[in-house]
Amino acid sequence: MIEFSDVGLRYGNGPEILKDLSFSIEPGSFHFLTGPSGSGKTSLLRLLLLSIKPSRGRVTMFGEDVGNLNQDGLLQMRRHIGIVFQEFRLLDHLTTFENVALPLRVLGQPESEYRPNVTELLEWVGLGERMHALPTLLSGGEKQRAAIARAVIARPKVLLADEPTGNVDPDLSSRLVHLFAELNRTLGMTIILATHELPLLDRFSYPRMVLNKGELTIHD
Amino acid sequence: MIRQLLALLPRRGGAAPIVPEKSVAGRTLLLLITIMAFLSAVTLGGVVLVQKSAIAWSADVGRELTIQLRPVEGEVMESNLRTAVSLAQSTPGVGAARALTVEESQALLEPWLGAGLDLSAIAIPRLVVVQLSDPAEADVEQLQRNLQAIKGASLDTHAAWRQQLNTMAGTVVLSGLLVLGLIGVATVLAIVFATRGAMASNREIVDVLHFIGASNKFIAGEFQGRFLSIGLQGGFLGALLAILFFVLIGTAAGSVLPSEATAQVGVLFGQFLLGLDGMTIILAVVPVIAVLTAVTSRVTVRRYLSEAS
Repeated sequence: MIEFSDVGLRYGNGPEILKDLSFSIEPGSFHFLTGPSGSGKTSLLRLLLLSIKPSRGRVTMFGEDVGNLNQDGLLQMRRHIGIVFQEFRLLDHLTTFENVALPLRVLGQPESEYRPNVTELLEWVGLGERMHALPTLLSGGEKQRAAIARAVIARPKVLLADEPTGNVDPDLSSRLVHLFAELNRTLGMTIILATHELPLLDRFSYPRMVLNKGELTIHD
Repeated sequence: MIRQLLALLPRRGGAAPIVPEKSVAGRTLLLLITIMAFLSAVTLGGVVLVQKSAIAWSADVGRELTIQLRPVEGEVMESNLRTAVSLAQSTPGVGAARALTVEESQALLEPWLGAGLDLSAIAIPRLVVVQLSDPAEADVEQLQRNLQAIKGASLDTHAAWRQQLNTMAGTVVLSGLLVLGLIGVATVLAIVFATRGAMASNREIVDVLHFIGASNKFIAGEFQGRFLSIGLQGGFLGALLAILFFVLIGTAAGSVLPSEATAQVGVLFGQFLLGLDGMTIILAVVPVIAVLTAVTSRVTVRRYLSEAS
């Protein structure tokens, strides 16, 4: 599903942030991406999200060489990838329901069509009662569940999460990872979850992609 | 009321706007567009007034000819006047011809020579006023030929005045259109800066939309909707203010100035009455400003997004 071959990344004329990354991700798998701060986790996620291009090497996603895609091709491919951020990035002037429905609005679906799906998903993540609340009135855990719901509402093939547990307490962190695990198991979504919380990783047996000074090792 | 009307406009999916209503440099831009629309409408109204007055004045002057009879030794003025009147009356297209009396002729000289002078001892030129019933059909050349039989007679068609008036009116209209063009350019530049400012302050929304797979076209459309709404509101307010301005100026000119001055101003500017066509032209500013705002912001947003990506 995702294949990196000798991928390197540098910003401008700076040093190489990511060095010779070669790995493949199978469909329906769950990977933790970990490593100390500044090891390149966010840069690797940005490559996976297609928001930046590698300086060298080849990235293949869903059977297509990303380097050969034009703007429209990249846009179409990005629609198969969901993303969850540490800082949630919900739009404060929209309700929880409207935030979660945003990817479907972008795809041009009418509200009458997406309303039942969004409502069902919000109930599934435990926000059924809070769907009309603005994000500013939600707790950290609720915001992150809303952000996860927004990331998966359009049924992406791959779900990326950048430190999704960074702004919640340890107990809630564990519950959030269980939520990702549930999405992986029930929907078959490929998940790459970046975190530097080692105690959290120890509670799950998923393979770990460990970045250190731009070099990647995978521990199954 | 404007907000209620705008709420009736079709909105993507009927859901809440993705770009918040108050975020797009909102009130400042609305004020700016209102001022620009007001200036455009006032300039357009002024151009319409001058144009209408020039046409009316030119038509009035064009309906009248003047035969001038200079005193010539050996010629009997009264007899020549009668001949000139009858020649004029027999010319096709002439409605009426009348010789001005000595008193009327003296009254015409008053502004230059002052009142109370006895001019009976001086031989002054006399005038015959010829009213044309149909300026297009009037055979002015025939009248001119016939008048050659009267010594000291000449025909004034006021052509030079009309040409000068038309040139002046044309210059005012052209200047007005130039000012209008400059207002348009200033409006476009202001919208470009406001749009870029709005995009920068809504960077988070743009980023989120990009991450969830929105195309540049979709994002531009969302911002364009907000700007179209602001353009419509600003254009409507500006045009409304301009119409009020003309109504107030018309009323003030009639009540503040003395009647003679009012009459003179009225001759020049037609009593500041725009008429239905003038009002229509002013109201046409509303869609023009709205479309200008929407198109400018769309182009700016698309350029901003392609730079960002």
